[in-house]
Amino acid sequence: MLSYIVRRTLSMLVTFVVVSVVIFLMMHAITGGPFDGYDMPLPDNIRARLMAQLGLDQPIWVQYLRYMWGVLHFDFGVPYQSPGETVLSLIAQAWVPSLTLGGLGMIIGAPIGILLGTTAALNRNSPIDYLASALATLGLTIPVFVISMLLILIFAVWLGWLPADGWGEPKKWILPIMAYAAVPIATYARYARSAVLDTLNKPFVTVLRAKGLSERRVIFQHVMRNSAIPMVTIFLPMFVGIATGSIFVEAMFRVPGLGAFFVSSIDKRDYPLEMALMLLLTMMFCVSYLISDVLYAVLNPRIRIDGGER
Amino acid sequence: MTTPALELRRLTKRFPARGRIGTQGDGGFLAVDRVDLTLPRNRVVALVGESGSGKTTTGLLALRLLGATGGTILLDGEDITTLNPKAMKAYRRRMQVVFQDSYASLDPMMTLGEIIAEPLGIHGLLTAAERRDQARRWLEKVGLDPSYASRYPHELSGGQRQRVSVARALVLGPTVLVADEPTSALDVSVKAQIINLLQDLQADMGLSMLFISHDLSVVRSFADEVVVMFRGRVVERAPADRIFDDARHPYTRALLDAVPVADPKARRRRKFLTAEEIAAATPRFAAHELEREPLLDTAEPQLVALAGSHYVEAVVGG
Amino acid sequence: MRLVEIEDLHVSFAQHEGLVQAVRGVSFSLDAGESLGIVGESGSGKSVTCSALLRLLREPPAKITAATLKLAGEDVLGARNRTISNLRGRIAAMVFQDPMTSLDPVFTIGHQIAETIRAHQKISKKDAFDRAVDLLRRVEIKNPASIARYYPHQLSGGMLQRAMIAMALSCAPKVLIADEPTTALDVTIQAQILQLIKDIQAETGMGLVMITHDLGVVAETVDRVVVMYGGRVMETGPVEAIFEAPLHPYTKALLGSMPGQVAGKRRLVEIPGASPNPAHPPSGCPFHPRCPMATLECREIEPRLEEKLAGRSAACIHVPAQQRVPEAVA
Repeated sequence: MLSYIVRRTLSMLVTFVVVSVVIFLMMHAITGGPFDGYDMPLPDNIRARLMAQLGLDQPIWVQYLRYMWGVLHFDFGVPYQSPGETVLSLIAQAWVPSLTLGGLGMIIGAPIGILLGTTAALNRNSPIDYLASALATLGLTIPVFVISMLLILIFAVWLGWLPADGWGEPKKWILPIMAYAAVPIATYARYARSAVLDTLNKPFVTVLRAKGLSERRVIFQHVMRNSAIPMVTIFLPMFVGIATGSIFVEAMFRVPGLGAFFVSSIDKRDYPLEMALMLLLTMMFCVSYLISDVLYAVLNPRIRIDGGER
Repeated sequence: MTTPALELRRLTKRFPARGRIGTQGDGGFLAVDRVDLTLPRNRVVALVGESGSGKTTTGLLALRLLGATGGTILLDGEDITTLNPKAMKAYRRRMQVVFQDSYASLDPMMTLGEIIAEPLGIHGLLTAAERRDQARRWLEKVGLDPSYASRYPHELSGGQRQRVSVARALVLGPTVLVADEPTSALDVSVKAQIINLLQDLQADMGLSMLFISHDLSVVRSFADEVVVMFRGRVVERAPADRIFDDARHPYTRALLDAVPVADPKARRRRKFLTAEEIAAATPRFAAHELEREPLLDTAEPQLVALAGSHYVEAVVGG
Repeated sequence: MRLVEIEDLHVSFAQHEGLVQAVRGVSFSLDAGESLGIVGESGSGKSVTCSALLRLLREPPAKITAATLKLAGEDVLGARNRTISNLRGRIAAMVFQDPMTSLDPVFTIGHQIAETIRAHQKISKKDAFDRAVDLLRRVEIKNPASIARYYPHQLSGGMLQRAMIAMALSCAPKVLIADEPTTALDVTIQAQILQLIKDIQAETGMGLVMITHDLGVVAETVDRVVVMYGGRVMETGPVEAIFEAPLHPYTKALLGSMPGQVAGKRRLVEIPGASPNPAHPPSGCPFHPRCPMATLECREIEPRLEEKLAGRSAACIHVPAQQRVPEAVA
């Protein structure tokens, strides 16, 4: 097991480096620099001086190496759009709302989705099943900004129960969390339904009944454990996607999160910020896949013992 | 003595040990261990054994569907062991196969006529119309109505699909047919149909057939010679009636003994040997008991010749 | 009281393509200590019959009706869920065909056997596990204590099937139903498992129902035989009589087409055609499309299972009720 983790970690680092190179190149492939978008065009000599100051006149590979060297020292540079702070502090600050709201959306949404999907599977082809499947489909097909708008409309405007915006007190968190929860609920409902149905159809379930076990025991002890494994392993990658903030949800509910920066950094050619955000995402995804794989190996006896299929 | 249709000499297949968590790579798993097998012209040789014996792997190696680790494969006396796919193509016409799972062997998106005609097309033989004709003729030859040419595999029963597999295998007129458990997945009442079909076609076309099976009863009514495999090695080889009447290797005896007898009066308790006990009970012959000099001068078990083309894996010594 | 009583059992499945009639009027019984073999090919309904007995089919889409369906005197059809759970494992235990897929992959063998015991008795986890180890020893598994801690994927087919038998025996059932228990196993292992089942049956005196397509297995293992085809019973009788002098044309044809009975290379006796499709069963006698003795009436009349000789019944209008045993089949 240890050698497995070591090998995966090493390959993860390689992936990380490759991705960072690709992103860096893509970033610089977009025409225009940080100073080309202003309404007030800068005189050439001032622009040239600014570019030199930021090291943007160097060859690409030099810029890349200098940047990565900084990264190794946890120095992610200074965002062009607000030179007063560092990229690191900017991200750290903005990430808190995204992580809180997105994370809670995930943590609340996943169990609800599992419950929904399992109930659907256990009552296959009944009205409950159709209702659950319909809800799941809606959750996945309706864009999140539409869901956000509907939530605001229903709960803030018509019913007046909940505030529509801001980040301050927990009461303001409820609607954005509901918006974030839509996708996990829908995804987990579908996964859970198909995982449970799959397991129910397996021969060993018939054998369990033939042994005289109560249906309750068959479902909760055996079926759930067998169905759980795929669901555990999709949690982390989904979490990464949601907990880094959705630009739509944050815009609609006016939450000062990371979401907006993802777009603005590209738009403004804010290379340090952009790069740092991408690296953050990449690292989070890589680590989440690694943890998921290890978790899968731990939960599945077939892999834990013997190390693979016989 | 004419050239045998197919000859395997010291054929070996070693599967590499998979890189498992916590294991070091060792020598790997020896699925087929220096197997010698001769398939004479116009004869049926049965290759029998249980799971893990290596019989199916041997069949795949002979067909060059799997790469051998060592040894030689001779088709009509020509060495095809290491030919590249392009060079093999010509030989593939002469060597065909029927597998156990007829459902998985036939492309569900093709009609039966297309399936049978396809090999002809691959080898660039005949015109399209002639190929269609041949397909219909072969449907008839395997006992199906020619109108079935427009039907699809899922419309047929298991036995009928297997007939189509046979037709497809024989449409090119091969000299060698490898049948890998062709009746194992079929109902009891249908097994006899397919065996008879194979028997008739074999006699008609002078096919040399390698019949792989775990079912000794099926083999008994069909084979000229029986080759018994155990853990990748050939442990006994003899004309069919000699195997059934006078098996000399403990494994062959165990195998024959285990077959259920369809006679309630002949019920008896059996004594079973473990695989280890069998492996340890290698027969021993003195040199003068053998028909021929042993091939190798060694104390290790090897195939020795007894009277009547009967070979047994044994140790030679006093 | 008979252990198993089945009278006029019908099982059908509602599928998209239509109604699949798997069992069309099957009747037989089993007394304590008896061993019965149910012989049939695919589509004969033999497995569905026994699954229906333990109500292991999903209803719907399955629909089960019968004049009598009783297990140890208890009516199975009208029974509540708790009664059924009680019957399963304790009165009747089943061993299934493919041991590799019959066990839950995420629990150890020992756990799964112990769980069966605890489902029917008040007993501590430790005691149940110890008994599981004992049971494994009884089915001739060496090192039962360590094997009990293994997961299913770590064991071979033969060992798993022994473990399945141990699990079935764990609550001392009155009848063991074995559904093709050796079909997925090698021939040498098959012989060992069959002998084990016979030994245990002799030791415990429990009833045995052996479902198989292999006539050889039947000849080796059971006292009485029920031959099924196309969802119906074709013939019943003592095993020796069935083999020596079969009454029904299907039984005769089946025995005749078995390969390997006679030495030497020869052409086998075939049965033309294929097994009937349960979704579209033939009219009248299910075997008539393939029967050498079929006449026009066979297409119209559904032959009833009638006693033709003492203790022997057949469902064929061409088999007369007789006083003497007919000539033995060559």
